[in-house]
Amino acid sequence: MCAAKWSKRGFRGDREHSSRTGIARPNNVETNFYHAYASINQKLAQGGKIRYGEDEASVLPRAPRPLRIPRIGLYTGSGTSHSWLWFVELFDRMLFHDIVFLNEDMVKDGALKNLDVFAMSGGDTIRIAEGLDTKGAAELEAFIRKGGLYVASCAGAYLPLKSSKQYLDRFNFVDIKIANLSKTRPEIKRLASKATTAYGCDYVYHAVREDVLLRLTGRSPFTGVSTFLAPLYGGPSMITDNTSEVLAYYAGFTDKTQFLVNESLAQKTLIGRVAAAKTGMGDGNLYLFGPHFEHPHFPMANHLVATAIFWDMKKDRENREISEDEIILEGAAKDKLVRDIKREISNARIVSVGLEAVPIQWSIGCKIYEPEKIRVFLEAIWKRIDNLERLRRIRLQNKADEQLVDCACKVKRILRELKARIDDCLETQDIASDLFDSLRRLTMGFLQIYFNSFRCNI
Amino acid sequence: MDYLSSNKILIVDLETGQISEDDLDDELVGRKIGGVGITSSLYQTHKDKEPIVLGTGLLTGTMFPASALGVVSAKSPRTGNLAHAPFTLKAGMELKYTGFDYVVILGRSPKPVFLWLHDGVADIQDASDLWGADVWATTDSIRRAMGDDLIQTLAIGPAGESGSDLAQVCINYWASGDCWGFGKLFGEKNLKAVALRGMGLLEISEPEDFVDQCFDVFDKIKGGAFAGRRGIEDILSEMGEKDASEWLAPFIHRHSACYNTPYSTNTFVYLNEDSKTLTEPVEPEPGFLINDPCALLAFKRAGFSAQNACRVLKACSKYGIDPAAVAELCEKSGQKDTEKIEQSFSDLKGPVAIPDGGKFSSWSPAQPLFSDFGVSDRSAYLAWWTRRQAVAYLFGIHPIFVNMSPELSEELMIEMFNKGTGLELSQESLDTVIDDVCS
Amino acid sequence: MRIDVDALKCIGCMACEMACGYHRDDAFALLSSCIVVYRAREKKDYFGVVIKEEESLTIARPEGLEIKRIGVAEEPDPAGQKKEADASAKPMLLREPCDLCNGMKYGPMCVKICPVDAISLVEEGE
Repeated sequence: MCAAKWSKRGFRGDREHSSRTGIARPNNVETNFYHAYASINQKLAQGGKIRYGEDEASVLPRAPRPLRIPRIGLYTGSGTSHSWLWFVELFDRMLFHDIVFLNEDMVKDGALKNLDVFAMSGGDTIRIAEGLDTKGAAELEAFIRKGGLYVASCAGAYLPLKSSKQYLDRFNFVDIKIANLSKTRPEIKRLASKATTAYGCDYVYHAVREDVLLRLTGRSPFTGVSTFLAPLYGGPSMITDNTSEVLAYYAGFTDKTQFLVNESLAQKTLIGRVAAAKTGMGDGNLYLFGPHFEHPHFPMANHLVATAIFWDMKKDRENREISEDEIILEGAAKDKLVRDIKREISNARIVSVGLEAVPIQWSIGCKIYEPEKIRVFLEAIWKRIDNLERLRRIRLQNKADEQLVDCACKVKRILRELKARIDDCLETQDIASDLFDSLRRLTMGFLQIYFNSFRCNI
Repeated sequence: MDYLSSNKILIVDLETGQISEDDLDDELVGRKIGGVGITSSLYQTHKDKEPIVLGTGLLTGTMFPASALGVVSAKSPRTGNLAHAPFTLKAGMELKYTGFDYVVILGRSPKPVFLWLHDGVADIQDASDLWGADVWATTDSIRRAMGDDLIQTLAIGPAGESGSDLAQVCINYWASGDCWGFGKLFGEKNLKAVALRGMGLLEISEPEDFVDQCFDVFDKIKGGAFAGRRGIEDILSEMGEKDASEWLAPFIHRHSACYNTPYSTNTFVYLNEDSKTLTEPVEPEPGFLINDPCALLAFKRAGFSAQNACRVLKACSKYGIDPAAVAELCEKSGQKDTEKIEQSFSDLKGPVAIPDGGKFSSWSPAQPLFSDFGVSDRSAYLAWWTRRQAVAYLFGIHPIFVNMSPELSEELMIEMFNKGTGLELSQESLDTVIDDVCS
Repeated sequence: MRIDVDALKCIGCMACEMACGYHRDDAFALLSSCIVVYRAREKKDYFGVVIKEEESLTIARPEGLEIKRIGVAEEPDPAGQKKEADASAKPMLLREPCDLCNGMKYGPMCVKICPVDAISLVEEGE
């Protein structure tokens, strides 16, 4: 039976198909990065041996050591926005399939011990720090000191910078200062709600949004290119000292750059400042990116993320066995689970599409959420359901299937309630918070099954 | 079937609650084309279980002009024979994108239900709370419960629930081309509604050629015979009621078209709001969308004022009863009191005329509109109209618009079918299928 | 250049929406189009067209055209509170902004397909 067909553009990141829309498109060479990393990961998954810089791994710098599949933890806990889905997109396209989705409790319970890499994207840095708390900070520090790699952008990049602010003061891992910090609130031209955030007695301000031009310093492993683009959505402009290596500077703006403050202040805040840095800590490393290098529109930046992962992932880790608590679903049981998920996601998605232009927004923590964001989570699931349907087997934690379907039902219920309240001009702030939390859990639960299942179908 | 299709035939047994799917084979498409060619075939296959078959044409929901048609095929309570009712507005298109090309509904549910088709998923949902509700309340309730205002419904009202032969399956809040009493069949199956929403995608075999051809035909149509005409009143005028525009004018709010249909076959009248109002009215139900020209014409010819005709049309759609049949019975009885007419709905019985043209709905006027199609002799209208309707119902074209646009030739539709699907349909095969569905 | 819509001429047929969807998906689908027929007020016959552009949202209502700059703060309301444009910084987030069908031989497909010439291409600022 032919699989159902759905819009190819469920996600704005899926743009490599088209060359007609006038928006900067990856060219073939850039798109080939995905194939290159996918080939490496596929060969490794099949038990093949590859060395850095050789054969299939020629996209990576040369090194006299064999590659292995990295086990990557992706933080999806409290305070995260939707941008961790960009990492998911990158991992999926490059066939990094040994992925573990982690919330704050899992980090605090020691889940980092089993990882090579821990990735963190955007969100509300203070809420992330609050969620991880002292225990999470200690776990993260121990993970890095024992050789782990921390790859982070935007809020994830702010997290380990020196700070005396409550919660953040537990993460003072690197001696890098924030350049986009001011004693007074700068005059804002647009997007006032996104342009500044109170930071103790100071303000973190975001001079521009969207595409910025970056210049690499040529330091290993980021070699071979000089300039590239990446999008900035509130990430830091950094000032490093000699304990960190500068990997890239902010070098310019593009016709897609949106200025939130006047251009001269933007220039002063960003140009010539550090956009990407690498800092060693114990046996491990931190890669901190101001812009979202993981954003799916930017293959060159994605390539650098993948390079960093392979280059500085933890050097020695024992392979994990399938936990006793995991089960495999096949045949009718698998079909039923996929059908149940599909039903509920479709129901939720139908409501979310109807909400996409509704003029409403919610303030959750210090972040603003619009109804459009709902669809971002649901599309991340929807576009992968057919792939899951095609797999012969699904691997999941015991009872994860029931929890996932229950969570999907909950999301559907809240969305329908939200729509009814909007129609009736009633307050929705209280359920919006619950909705986004449930959406995050749902997406995390689904994607965990998705990635696990790929590994059991090789 | 890879192109212009979701490749799925859904089979729902309301009695057992079982839902299954079949592929839409290229072989079946090659033999029966689509639309009523395939709904008729599925009807025959499942005849023993009193099937109601929903379907679309292969061109439905595409960029081909007037590709708005969905169809309900079943045994008509009014004729005892297989008949086909068109549903247009946005419902035909919506069915196409639900992920199902055809839906076969079998058996009788033990309790009231509605069928919810969405993104390739079919759910039988409890409709106990909806039983007894009129069509408008039913659509409102389903949309609210499911959280989306764009859900399209094929719904029945009290007429269908009570087993009236005049019961109509309505579209959302409005009339449909069901002049066959299919509303009664829904009621007998305890099926209150079919709700449709889908966000699927249709691949095209030769996309550039297909779209080029669509633009070519759009260009020709734009300068065609109906240029400058609009709305239901100009259709009435073309049908001989030269003063129709003047008659309806005070109440006309706006004209609108069914999916991708270049002529606005629908006219919205404001009955309790100033019809010149442009801003969103406060009144939640200010008027009515007239989409049945023959019913409106019948009320006009029976001597109704425009306002009263529209009020009765609105009441018919709420009750879920065929407005053309009501108009005919009103003309016979001489009743013009709108309240009394509405009160009589529950006891309203025939006989009403059985539509001409065999299996196709008399909702589409049995004559060329705005263009003579080379058929100058009125005695030839019925044969011409029957073939024209068969073509529309096979490919998925609006059955009223097809009478306006000679540009939409059989030759063109065959060409579009071939470009769209990658199959090879010939005029001979089309002739065979037309003979088959008309017999 | 930008797309202009006369909502009073519009008959809500959705041909523009499907044509735009084709431009985005190379197939027939509606979910990616940047021009959308607003039809959620069916019982009131209140319909219009919304277009997502790079920097603005064009809302063509029967009573007139409104162009909202995406993310630009509006004047203070009488209560003294500032609002974001359309209260939404990223309207229709997952839909690409209008590119006037850049690269398509037909020009803007919504303009070409509209049966009642409700959609036209005009100079910026007109």
